[in-house]
Amino acid sequence: MTAALHLSSITHRHPGDDQPTLADIDLEVQDGEMIAVLGPSGSGKTTLLRVAAGLERPMSGDVLLDGTSVLDVPPERRDLTVMFQKPHLFPHLSVLDNVAFADRLRRRSRTESRAAAQRYLDLVQLGDLGRRRPRQLSGGQEQRVALARALAASRRVMLLDEPFSALDTNLRTSMHQLLGEVRAALDPTIVIVTHDLDEAGLAERVGVLVEGRIEQFDTIQALYTAPKTLAVARLVGGFNEVTGTVESGVHHSSLGSLVLPAVADVKGSAILLVRKERLGLVDAEASATGRVVKVRQSGPHQDVVVELDRAPADRRARVEVEVRLGTTLRPGDRTGVQLPGPDGLWAVDHPVVEDASQISHATSEPAIFDSTTRGRG
Amino acid sequence: MRWRTAHQPRLTVIRALLVFWLVVPLTPLVLWAGASRWSGTVRLPQDFGLRGWQEALDAGVIAALVRSGLLGVAVALIATPLGVMAGRALGWRLLRRPALPSVVLLAPVVLAPFAVAMGLDVVILRLGIPGEIAVVLVLSVFALPYTTFTMRATYLGLDPDLEEQARVLGASARQARRRVTLPAATTGLATATGLAFLVGWSDYAVTLLIGGGQIVTAPMLIGSAAAGSGNDALSSTLAISASLPPLVALAVFTYAASRRRTAAHS
Repeated sequence: MTAALHLSSITHRHPGDDQPTLADIDLEVQDGEMIAVLGPSGSGKTTLLRVAAGLERPMSGDVLLDGTSVLDVPPERRDLTVMFQKPHLFPHLSVLDNVAFADRLRRRSRTESRAAAQRYLDLVQLGDLGRRRPRQLSGGQEQRVALARALAASRRVMLLDEPFSALDTNLRTSMHQLLGEVRAALDPTIVIVTHDLDEAGLAERVGVLVEGRIEQFDTIQALYTAPKTLAVARLVGGFNEVTGTVESGVHHSSLGSLVLPAVADVKGSAILLVRKERLGLVDAEASATGRVVKVRQSGPHQDVVVELDRAPADRRARVEVEVRLGTTLRPGDRTGVQLPGPDGLWAVDHPVVEDASQISHATSEPAIFDSTTRGRG
Repeated sequence: MRWRTAHQPRLTVIRALLVFWLVVPLTPLVLWAGASRWSGTVRLPQDFGLRGWQEALDAGVIAALVRSGLLGVAVALIATPLGVMAGRALGWRLLRRPALPSVVLLAPVVLAPFAVAMGLDVVILRLGIPGEIAVVLVLSVFALPYTTFTMRATYLGLDPDLEEQARVLGASARQARRRVTLPAATTGLATATGLAFLVGWSDYAVTLLIGGGQIVTAPMLIGSAAAGSGNDALSSTLAISASLPPLVALAVFTYAASRRRTAAHS
């Protein structure tokens, strides 16, 4: 089946930069599908959308719409539209005329354009604000109008560039809900770039972009349970990492010998990944025991950091366990740690790094720390 | 609300002073324009009448006003689009080294019109450029700093990404400028046009020196009446005739702008 949008081997480098912003990116979006490109700031997400939209030209590679290259087609004639992080409503036009803008460009009459625009405004639940000027809207209303305007453009593919990142949590949630309703009603093909995992979770598939490369293109569930690389695991967050080696499908480390799921295709030096919510705290007679060193609040949960006894004193290992609110454990208490079965474990190749300190710099807070690695995991 | 109440009397006083400042210099002109006889030692005219207006009509004030208007329009037509382009480039930092173009564009304000006009006079005569065209071109250069820097300030307040947004909604680069950023810059555009028009409308030195006295505009008539005749009624009438059209235009523009603001807030 021909993809609605195919970004084929896209490489792009900004003038003056040594490293490419995008390196050999390959992404396909099927008709009616929504995909997300997830990445940290500066990973090249926005550049990728700008290349797709024709606002920047790649050094190499191709942009195909329904199998046809549009690399030499200017942005206005590509069958794509973009909703940017800022709503960019046209200040001299009313809300209704902003939404009717694309139709007016297509030479539809003012009456027809406005009638169509009104339907899209109704869809985003702002039907009674058509006569207002953009400056009279709140931030959330502006983004709704921008969404209505992008939908009214009736393009083959909609590209959303972190469109809700400037909104507060409640508004963002309501926009996510609205996007779901719009998808149910119109079934548009959407590419959304974001650094927000919840937002990425709205999409059928997620491409993880790290330093200009797609590290994994999979479902959000797969990113949480079976990240392909350490970079993906760290971007997703919430993993305990422990270094060791894999032989015959078994990971050997200070945690012991743990059987990995059959699909984890790893050999040799490898990092075991265990999600903190898959670990449990049990009586101190469990197979893994240790001493609580920290209890901290994490959203609606608490994270308990346990220093394990099993490792020798010079190779202390810590695990982070997510528990419900109200734990009575305090630093210094002894506890047992319940490890999950093979379905709760995962392993990735240990990245070969000449200077081990580079790993620890590149990561956020470790969930397991093994002092022998000097880095994460 | 409390701020408004507390500052209301001070605002009223400031407004009254501003009106006073504008009206006082015009009062003798208005009185002279309605006077038939007013000897220097008396506080008010002894006789009122329309002598000054009749003499102004006889002197060709209508034709002079039309010429001034045409000159203003011609200057605005040239200096405004150039100012829009230059202001866009400077305001949106499209130039790598904007310092030199900024200085060049500001130079006409620094240079004395008399000095420039006297220098160019000879050149234009030698090149055989018709006086009217030469006057329009030179005045356009003098108007360019006003249009450029007004539009620069306007574009500074306008997000350049609006054009990209328009592009991805189906507008060509030209349509994006014509249908989005230019209309969004209407207030600045009107101000720039008005300033360029006024440069042409009110010019005396360039019209006199480069036009060689052949182009009789309203300021030329005023200058001639004030310098030569000693007829204060005629001079005042001509001055008021030349001041009224821009004042009316300003009032209409201000009223229209306030109506737009009111409509936008309702």
